[in-house]
Formats: sequence, structure tokens, C-alpha cells
Amino acid sequence: MLALYNDQQRAVAVKMGGFVPGIMAGWGTAWLIGFTALWLIDGLKPAFSLPIGLAIGIFIGVLVIAIGISIWLGVRSSRGVKSGSANAFSGTVYGVTWSVGSIAIGAIGGALIQNGLSSDLANLFYPSIYVFFVGIMYVMAGAIWQAVPSVIVGGWLVVIAAVAPFIGYPWHYLFFAIAGGVGLLLFSVLGRNLLNGSSAFAKAAA
Amino acid sequence: MDELDPVIHAQARLRIMATLATLELDESIAFPRLQELLEMTAGNLSTHLRKLEEPAYVDITKTHRGRTPVTYLSLSKKGRRAFEDYMDTLRTVLGEQP
Repeated sequence: MLALYNDQQRAVAVKMGGFVPGIMAGWGTAWLIGFTALWLIDGLKPAFSLPIGLAIGIFIGVLVIAIGISIWLGVRSSRGVKSGSANAFSGTVYGVTWSVGSIAIGAIGGALIQNGLSSDLANLFYPSIYVFFVGIMYVMAGAIWQAVPSVIVGGWLVVIAAVAPFIGYPWHYLFFAIAGGVGLLLFSVLGRNLLNGSSAFAKAAA
Repeated sequence: MDELDPVIHAQARLRIMATLATLELDESIAFPRLQELLEMTAGNLSTHLRKLEEPAYVDITKTHRGRTPVTYLSLSKKGRRAFEDYMDTLRTVLGEQP
């Protein structure tokens, strides 16, 4: 009966928490493609150069797809579950913080540019502050929903966001593509294995 | 308490209780979603839920989404306590630390 209990908890964990590695894989792929595209603007000059408009288009395109995948997987996993008021409050505040924070980052960058920030420095500022924000939000999610893996992934993103500006343009984009994109993909594989292997991860993720 | 609670001590009902126990305290789950998580037929699930409802281990809330009736299920306080006791007893019987 104990084995039956453990199996059932694991099965629920996989079905309810299985979306987390999926979302991470989506973002990992998006960052790998998107940041590589940005790096290719100047990274391989003079042998090759991706037109700046196309590179930015690819970057925004993959981000939009990743957002779509996240929403779809998130909604699908929580369907049929009615949360209580406390949980709904955390979820709403967390969700709104993503939008408000993203808009604030845009505004801060815009203000810096208006006050004389060069486009070279903006190239360093935007991706770093963005990855930093995503990292903080992962840590927050881990804190709210008691998910240690989320804290680890978030911590990793905060570290690479702080390191990247020191690498300088355009190589920091390649650094984000590998440390961020490939990193998230690895975390996603690791998360899926943990999820299938034990219920601890998903209990935390659920 | 050395006796294993006979209401919970049946494969199907243990699985139902284990699944409901993964929900947060103030969460509840719709019948079709629970059915999908358990891979049980609607009839089978209903029968066992009725047995869990008798000692008030499960709270059943009937509501409407638009015109469709939806039934939400969750563990009652009593049910959660009974399940914890059951698991403790089971682990003791098996010689594990509760």
C-alpha cells in the first residue's frame, strides 16, 4: 500500500508539475536561438553578419513563442484545480509582477538612453537586466511555492546576468546563448529526470 | 491507533486520498480532472467518492461554470487528519519511522 501511495503521488507530480521542465525547455531554446541571432550581428564579422533588423526580429519572435508556450502549458496543467484565495493572491501578484517589471525595465533603459547612454552600453544593459529580472522572478517563484529547483535556476541566471557585462559586446550575447539557453535546457532535462525519479521535485513544483 | 482505517485501506480509495492530499489546504479539483489523474472510470470514481463522503473525509462542492454543472472535490479537515493517521499507522506496521 505504501508503494501504491508513493506511485500515485509520483504520478500526480508528473502530471501536475510536468509543465515546469517544459517551460524551461521552451525558454532555453528561445534564448539559445535569440541570443545567438543577436551575437551574429557583429560576432563573426567580417566573415558573416546577420542584418540587425532580422536578428532583432528573430529574438522577439522566439520570445513571443516562448511566452505563448509558457501560458499554454501553465493553463493546461492547472486546469480543473480551483485555488483558494491565499494561493490565488500569490499567483496574481506574481503574474502581474512579470508584466510590471518588464515594462519598468523598458522604461529604465529608455530613460538611460535619453540621458546619454550610448547604444554600445545599452547593448550590455538590456540583456543583463532582463536576465537578472528573470532570475529574480525564478527565485521568487521558488520562495512562494517552496520549489528548490526554481531557486537554483534563478540563482544561476542572476550570476550569469552579473558576469555577462564584463565579457563585453558582442561576446556577452554568445555567453547568454550558452550559459542561459543551453543552461536552461540542461536544467530542464535534469528537472524531468528528477520528476520521473522522485516526487520531491514535483511536490515542490506543484 | 493500530488499526488501519478500513475506509482508506482499499487500493482505489488510497489513490484518491493520496491525490487529494497533494492539493493545498484551500484548493479543490474538478471531477473530470481528478478522474484523469487517477485514470479511473467515472462510475468507479463516484462509487469510491461516495464511500469517502460517508465519514466526511471528502468535501464535495457542486457549482456551475456557465450552464455546465461542475463538481469540485477536496479533502476535509477530518479527511486530511484521517489520511495522516492512516499513513503513520501504515508506516508503523511496516516498521518504518512515521
